Amino acid sequence: MAIPVSQAWTVATYVIKQKLAGRKRYPLVLMLEPLFRCNLACAGCGKIQYPAHILKAELTPEECFKAVEECGVPMVSIPGGEPLLHPKMPEIVQGLIDRKKYVYMCTNALLLKEKLHLFKPSKYLSFSVHVDGEKEHHDFGVCREGGHDIAMEGVRAAVAAGFRVTTNTTLFDGADPNSVRRHFDQLMEAGVDSMMISPGYTYDKAPDQKHFLGRARSRKLFRALLSNRKKRWQFNANPIFLEFLMGKRELTCTPWGMPTFSIFGWQKPCYLLQDGYADTFQELLDEVDWANYGTESGNPRCANCMVHSGYEASGVNYTFGSLKGLIATAKAMFGGLYEDPDAQKLLNDWKPTNHGQLVQIGSGILSAESERVNHSESLAVGD
Amino acid sequence: MATEQQEHLKIEELQQLSPDQIEVMAGRDRENLEGWIPALATEAEVKDAFEKAFDYRGDVTLTLKSGEVVEGYIYDRRQGSTLENSLVRVMPSKGEDRSRRSIPYSEIAALNFSGRDTAAGKTFEAWVKKYWEKKAAGEKNIQIEPEKLD
Repeated sequence: MAIPVSQAWTVATYVIKQKLAGRKRYPLVLMLEPLFRCNLACAGCGKIQYPAHILKAELTPEECFKAVEECGVPMVSIPGGEPLLHPKMPEIVQGLIDRKKYVYMCTNALLLKEKLHLFKPSKYLSFSVHVDGEKEHHDFGVCREGGHDIAMEGVRAAVAAGFRVTTNTTLFDGADPNSVRRHFDQLMEAGVDSMMISPGYTYDKAPDQKHFLGRARSRKLFRALLSNRKKRWQFNANPIFLEFLMGKRELTCTPWGMPTFSIFGWQKPCYLLQDGYADTFQELLDEVDWANYGTESGNPRCANCMVHSGYEASGVNYTFGSLKGLIATAKAMFGGLYEDPDAQKLLNDWKPTNHGQLVQIGSGILSAESERVNHSESLAVGD
Repeated sequence: MATEQQEHLKIEELQQLSPDQIEVMAGRDRENLEGWIPALATEAEVKDAFEKAFDYRGDVTLTLKSGEVVEGYIYDRRQGSTLENSLVRVMPSKGEDRSRRSIPYSEIAALNFSGRDTAAGKTFEAWVKKYWEKKAAGEKNIQIEPEKLD
């Protein structure tokens, strides 16, 4: 099973309680960002673009615990920055485990192997290792040669030490579903419990501004990727959300489903958009004009978003919203290999694109030399 | 945050097309604001300048009407109906007291985008170009290093 039964039970009872209490807006996962500094400078991420005094700042363990208690979520994801750079991360993680929160500690795993001894295996703790694809694809995405090997070494060490390990793969325009499927095989062979997957977001602070997927392309990519899936692939995702990515279902955004707390406070309105900060979680719920966000709002900044932080909670909401939702989810969980001959044809005929190489290097289609020519011809010159 | 004109163009585009027809989002173009000292003569200029300061990924210097100078990062702004009830929220970068401050627009005499724009010049294209140059030169372990913080 991709997640422990106790976690599934905790989440299910939490959601049902919220619904019985008549709460229209409730959070599912807290995105806790205890620091922004990182040991990578990825092209698709603008999180680390701050002055040095901001990058040096970090939340104290007490501030982290207060935020978790304030919003009352059953699950906490710790992104960043790179959380393993926080000197008190073991204390923060243990404090959350003591509070019986299911913790996903997101990491690029560059430091995982050497810091593993600071943590104890627990059903409440998963290391969520960011691996964006096969070796060359990942390395290019994180702008560091050798990054994939170190990350996978961290994954194997954590698995061997008895930790729960999930992976997180973000796909941008140009991703090759055949390669990503091989990547899934490699991850399962390495012993990970489950995999998360999401399209990248049109993040306006990211250095790369040319490789964000539109909705139609996302659906095509995910249909090719997730149809005819292998039995052994385990996903750490609501199956309804995966169906949404494949274009089999419409969902509306739930921007309050995964609120973000950082050194600035509660981020308005969501993990991806930065329209200011609230000092309390209640203030966040009360002050944000939620109708202004989500694809259906017409907000151009939300137009192509299909990211898990907006839509995973929508999938969970659908699951527990009706008997139909529960049946659809159960069907997807226990039988959903999504056999689809058209999707297989799509996969067979897929031509890796070559318009930017965020993830496409060494595709095997082009020789290194011709790729180099393509690169230099297609690039705008930066310094 | 895009400029007003970029937002307007995106909205116009969206009115013509469904999101499914927009394949790859264009992203945003950056404004070069580093070193800018905006005129704060009218209420509209003040509000516009602080919107840009909120979006700016570098420190700014605020000179208050009291004569005090505050350097730091503007992490939030709240626009009210008047300059008195509009404010910026700052994390100071210097001085003994680094606690966050909220400063009403009406108390600010001057704004200077004095700090380096940490989001500027780090294009993906630059990384790709550099990568292939280094690769061609036979270098190994090519990477972008995060900036030193000291």
